[in-house]
Amino acid sequence: MTRYLGRRVLLAVPTAAGILVAVFAIAHLAPGDAASALARGGRRVPPAAAAELRRIYGLDRPLPEQLWNWTRRAVRFDFGRSFQDGRPVAERIREALPFTLALNGCALVLTLLLGIPIGVAQARRAGRAFDRIVDGVLFALYSMPSFWIAMLLLALFSVRLGWLPLFGASSDLPASAGVVARGLDRARHALLPVLCLTYVSLAFFARMVRSSVAAEIPKEYVVAVRARGASWTRAIWGHALRNALLPLLTVVGLMIPGLLSGSVLIEQIFAWPGLGRLFYGAILARDYPVILALSTLTALLTLASILATDLLYAAADPRIRRG
Amino acid sequence: MGSLFRGSASGRVGLALLAVLAAAAVLSPVLASDRPLLSFGSEGPGLPAMAAYPILGRLVPAGRPGDRSVLACPIPYSPQGISLRERLEPPSGRHWLGTDDLGRDVLARIIAAAPVSLSVGLVASGISMVLGLLLGGIAGYAGGIVDLAISRLMEVVLCFPTIFLILALVAFLPPSIWTVMAAIGVTSWPEEARYARAEILRAKTLDSTLALRAAGARPARILFRHLLPGALPPVLVSATFGVASAILAEAGLSFLGVGVPPPAPSWGGILGISEAYLDQAWWLAVFPGIAIFLTIAAYNLVGEAWRQALDPLAIAPARTMGRGRWRQRRSIPAASIR
Repeated sequence: MTRYLGRRVLLAVPTAAGILVAVFAIAHLAPGDAASALARGGRRVPPAAAAELRRIYGLDRPLPEQLWNWTRRAVRFDFGRSFQDGRPVAERIREALPFTLALNGCALVLTLLLGIPIGVAQARRAGRAFDRIVDGVLFALYSMPSFWIAMLLLALFSVRLGWLPLFGASSDLPASAGVVARGLDRARHALLPVLCLTYVSLAFFARMVRSSVAAEIPKEYVVAVRARGASWTRAIWGHALRNALLPLLTVVGLMIPGLLSGSVLIEQIFAWPGLGRLFYGAILARDYPVILALSTLTALLTLASILATDLLYAAADPRIRRG
Repeated sequence: MGSLFRGSASGRVGLALLAVLAAAAVLSPVLASDRPLLSFGSEGPGLPAMAAYPILGRLVPAGRPGDRSVLACPIPYSPQGISLRERLEPPSGRHWLGTDDLGRDVLARIIAAAPVSLSVGLVASGISMVLGLLLGGIAGYAGGIVDLAISRLMEVVLCFPTIFLILALVAFLPPSIWTVMAAIGVTSWPEEARYARAEILRAKTLDSTLALRAAGARPARILFRHLLPGALPPVLVSATFGVASAILAEAGLSFLGVGVPPPAPSWGGILGISEAYLDQAWWLAVFPGIAIFLTIAAYNLVGEAWRQALDPLAIAPARTMGRGRWRQRRSIPAASIR
């Protein structure tokens, strides 16, 4: 186990380094330097900002030295100040991070809570009408762009019916409002964005659960469990599902970048003050420090989640850890 | 390819949808144009709408501006035809799918956007397929340190949430449709590379490969002439899903206003406009979304049917529970594909 663990973590180091180099390379793709790219957008660049940029990237230095400096700063998470309001990038990210984590966390939990029962129910009735109909619905959901569904839901529930708030993460409540009222307000704001993020990953995940459980059910050990007198429900939930869940762990790890991607569009539509919205605002304002910081951060977050699921997988499956 | 999907109704639906889409894309200049399809003037008949085609257009008589229109296009509006007196008109007999904030016909714009979206999807997916085949093939065949390095590179690309990476690329590169294609292509190849690598790893150990090596064939020749063609089918399946996600990514970028630059029509772009008019123009939000949905569904359906045709084991006979009955879906034997 220790050997596998060590090897897996060691392999993540070059990947993390690769992420830093990739972000560095993207920043250097810009024709001219970042300061002139800023000017190209038809904006007057204050000399202070241009100097700040050149200082940040040390653009007068040789390339290897620039790369080294960038890595050193990135590791300490020193990305300088945002061009938009002059505040430290790390501070802006700290403010936005909880909102994105809340949104994606809810979506992930809902996906697992709904996806597993749906997939298992389908696998139990594999090939029958129920399976086919649910599969068709999931397939259709999977093919619907989430930003389209978001707009339709917004138009229906917030604009036409007026049941849900139009945008933001909370409303201005009077100071006297209690915890319950505030919680309800938050939930009303989060409902549609969470729904939009959930349905895509749910459609994807439930189909994976269905196919991996359906592949376990015909195996002999399931029959053996039945032969010992256990019910089908027990044989499937207690035995087949447990074996089927193992490979699904990896899928969950790979769903994280998808959720983060989705939140750029969804947060934008619902004006949810999270990382996705911060990133998009930075793109429009050509706020390079924020762009570089968030590209690095989201990639490293994803790497961490992939690593975590790989290690969980090894902990759960002895075949992997023995190599 | 038709015979490939004989066992799959949904695959055929997908193919049919794709055919309709491709036809709409190819015919878009004559389907929606304010110029007449057929006109008649002092110089004889002319085909003004057809003259809009890139090369073919030069071969047909374009007619003259004052010519008498004999036959109008099915949708007699230009996708760029601004008409401020007809702003935000709901669907009607005149404008079947309504008009947008500048009075442009929505149906004309949706049709004109089809070739844009499809070409972005195909080119981006093509880029990622070529990159994936090359890198995945080399990784699988070379093994060792090369494999390790390429696998790390794959992991690096996988780690970036796609939209973040594409947006960053689009922010740093000059805005154009080529930037969008390239950005989507270079961010999505690891999926194809994974399939190519796995296939090469398997084929590398075959006796036929050993025979090639014994005969003195160079590694490059073995890889590119003999092994990679065999890896093509699973990679093509993956690339079919890739077209769907590339079109989705393009639509998302255009929705945000950083994809296909205006005034070129795009489905995502129309949806983006609708955001400002959610309370008054539902048709702007509904119809372009349906176009995106149908396109993505078509590619996913074809990809799914193709994958099942390649790998009949993926839909292994499923035992229907509780009845002790085995039910087998009709599937195509693997041999019929090669």
